[in-house]
Amino acid sequence: MFELVPHIINGLTLGLLFALIALGFTLIVGVMEVINLAHGAMFALGAYFAMTTIGGGWFGGTEFGQWWLTLPIGTRYAIGVIVGPLMAAGAGMILELCLRPTYGKAPLYGLLLTFGAALVIEEIIRLSWGTGEQSLPVPQAINGAFFMGGLIFSKYKFFAAGFAIIAIFGVWAFLEKTPYGAIIKAGAHDSEMVRALGYDLSKLRLLVFGFGAALAGLAGTVMAPIWGLRPHIGIDVIIPAFLIIVVGGVGSFWGAVIAAVLVGLSVGITGAYAPAWSMLSMYLLLIAIVGFRARGLLGRKSALEN
Amino acid sequence: MPMITLSDIPARGGSPFTPAMGVFLLALSTAPFSLPAVGLYQYLGIEVAIWLIVALGFNLLFGYIGLHSFGHGAYLGIGAYAFGLFQQEIAVSLWGGLLAAISAATIAGGIVAAFISHRRGIYYALMTIAFGQIFWFCAIKLHGVTGGEDGLLGIPRPDFVLGPIRFSLADNTSLYWFSAVLLALVAIGLWRLVNAPFGRVLQAIRQNETRARFVGYDVWRIKWLTFTLSAAFAGLAGGLFSMAQESAYPDVMSLHQSGLIVMMILVGGGLVSFWGPVLGVILYFVARDVIGGITETWLLWFGLMFVIMVMSRPEGIAGLIHVARTRLGHAPAGRSAPKPTEV
Amino acid sequence: MALFEAQNLRKRFGARVVLENISLSIEDGTVHGIMGPNGAGKTTCFHVLTGHHAPDAGRITFAGRDITGKKPHQIARMGISRSFQIMNLFDDTVVIENVILALPEFRSSGLNPIRDVFGNTALIDRALAVLDQVGLAHRAWEKAAALPYGERRALEIAVALAPEPRIVFLDEPTSGLGTDATRALADLIRDLRNRYTICLIEHDMRFLFDLADRISVIHWGQVIDENTPANLRANKWVARSALGEVA
Repeated sequence: MFELVPHIINGLTLGLLFALIALGFTLIVGVMEVINLAHGAMFALGAYFAMTTIGGGWFGGTEFGQWWLTLPIGTRYAIGVIVGPLMAAGAGMILELCLRPTYGKAPLYGLLLTFGAALVIEEIIRLSWGTGEQSLPVPQAINGAFFMGGLIFSKYKFFAAGFAIIAIFGVWAFLEKTPYGAIIKAGAHDSEMVRALGYDLSKLRLLVFGFGAALAGLAGTVMAPIWGLRPHIGIDVIIPAFLIIVVGGVGSFWGAVIAAVLVGLSVGITGAYAPAWSMLSMYLLLIAIVGFRARGLLGRKSALEN
Repeated sequence: MPMITLSDIPARGGSPFTPAMGVFLLALSTAPFSLPAVGLYQYLGIEVAIWLIVALGFNLLFGYIGLHSFGHGAYLGIGAYAFGLFQQEIAVSLWGGLLAAISAATIAGGIVAAFISHRRGIYYALMTIAFGQIFWFCAIKLHGVTGGEDGLLGIPRPDFVLGPIRFSLADNTSLYWFSAVLLALVAIGLWRLVNAPFGRVLQAIRQNETRARFVGYDVWRIKWLTFTLSAAFAGLAGGLFSMAQESAYPDVMSLHQSGLIVMMILVGGGLVSFWGPVLGVILYFVARDVIGGITETWLLWFGLMFVIMVMSRPEGIAGLIHVARTRLGHAPAGRSAPKPTEV
Repeated sequence: MALFEAQNLRKRFGARVVLENISLSIEDGTVHGIMGPNGAGKTTCFHVLTGHHAPDAGRITFAGRDITGKKPHQIARMGISRSFQIMNLFDDTVVIENVILALPEFRSSGLNPIRDVFGNTALIDRALAVLDQVGLAHRAWEKAAALPYGERRALEIAVALAPEPRIVFLDEPTSGLGTDATRALADLIRDLRNRYTICLIEHDMRFLFDLADRISVIHWGQVIDENTPANLRANKWVARSALGEVA
């Protein structure tokens, strides 16, 4: 039984990072009533930009580039973790602007547009960074393994889990304690009302998309050393994100977090028995739940039910 | 100008003798001569024919009944693998292989459809993605059966045998003619189907499922049937595909490839016209082979064009043609059925 | 025996019980009204009676057959037809095709992959006759979405009449109509009552009391009274809980 512990840790870590992705996703769905199929692409962009930042890739052979590489990796990593999500946020905001012509039309068009955007972004990644597997360098302090109770644990996974917990609470604090957060929450419930109260709906949408994309990008940055960095990692993220908000309910903060941890755990534990098939467990879970008409643990009926 | 739909382009009744069909059949029959003339190659004709079969069948689901599947590449792949496995494990036979391809894809499609036909909209779409990913995943992981990422290699091209007639399909021109005949039959058959009561019912379901139910249609069954049928066409195309490539790979089952099918349909105008998918497939291959000859980034441009079309003119090329013809006074606008001659 | 009977229907959605105990009985050839304040459960009642939702408990019989829990398309084929308060039309399709789709002769060939639809003059004539009944024959070849509101209402009813049903359920047919259109609708229903049994939900009291033979009053998910309009006028309870004026 004890041998399951590393897998449970894996699953928890995965789940917490999934929670970040799902939170961004559910905010966007809640406010916009758009399923953002490009959310995974934001995840990927965050990771790739972070990697390039850490490696100084943009400034290549220049003096600045040389100086950059002399900085300790811890510093570069910290900056990368900020730059990655920021770039993802920017992409998210551009996507929102592109979505504007589709508002008011059938939901199909928003879906098609975000889907197209996902493939376009993946293609851009492929062309800019290549199709091969890349890796995101991390500081030595959080890299490597340590032993406990006769089992090997990965330092990085603990770091990632801890980071995710802090980030989740950060998001919670933002939503609960700040005025911006309050507006976003209100918008997630009733965007008409928010407009009636005098807030600029288009700025709100832009903000939410940017924020949601940043969360995805942050998750991507932290997850890259665990999952690897390939152009199509974005696609691997969409189904879990959707599964989580279906299980946890659209627009529900804790629903998303709890569901994410559950999904992560199921993937982690499946990994103990059939590692090659662990990702498949998510698809099967989605089919089981959506195939049998569930509305989730904590959710309300939404525009998804078309 | 308000958006037009499939119900707008005038229905001409079921006769396949229309100008568009004539042009299409003409293009099909002259392709082996016209393609080399513009510097392209025979094999392209086969590819285009295969994807046209997929696209026309897919549009029954996507355009006519309005159910959006983003995982249809899976059925193409299943058909391809089934054909290959039949040749390798059972017998080298054209008809046997194609039958295996169609059956396998139909069964897979039928199973998936049973899970999803009570839904529509976004849940439906995401379920199709999930199933597509499962099939793709299985293709990659089941090394013993499918050859995994390396694919199923060495699939033979069986001879065409019908009674006393026998000829080889080994060279690309013969295989092209075979594919073209199949495509012509598919196109004519589908044309009849969508202009028959079945096609009108599909469109009714797209517009209002509830109302369709309440006037007595078993909507679930019709949705199931349409999905399964479109999978069957993809399976047929898959069989041809594995013959053409003489191998079968998982990548055609990926979300990427399934997405390309959707893009072709939309860009061509499958949402507003029977021939939309044809235009879309042709455009895709033009992008791939003509633009692709100039730059590596052709897929990016195709994707960007798709995104821009969704933003500005989701009716696609067929829609643009219709708008142009209406403005020039050629086509009747706004009627979806011809008036009978007696009042 | 009544043509259509519902006994002790119960329906809840999640924690909310919308229908507590609904029983009603509709005689062949009559117009039966259903009235009650907003939120009383009238539309849910309709949804349950016409098969849109299955009841949690209770029985529904039609012409002696138990139809409880049957699916909408099965119920439609048995001769029960309905219109919707929020209109459900095939908006992108022309008016006459909206009706044709509802004709049983067309529907039974619905999966037919070969026959030609619009060349069939018999179908077209039948559809035009139905449209004539509601006064829409002159609009036959226009798109349903292009029709003004009142005519869309009329089309909604035409689609319900097309399959020659034995009983027609009309859900607030005067919704959104002005006085003239309402009067025209009342005339139409008076015409129809000779050929069909009609059950209708209405807020417009005058309209309902003029047309109905019997009315069920629903409040809090129960039928609190069922009687002729004349007797109901005298019931103070009903007068207090119902909406609108009782003339």
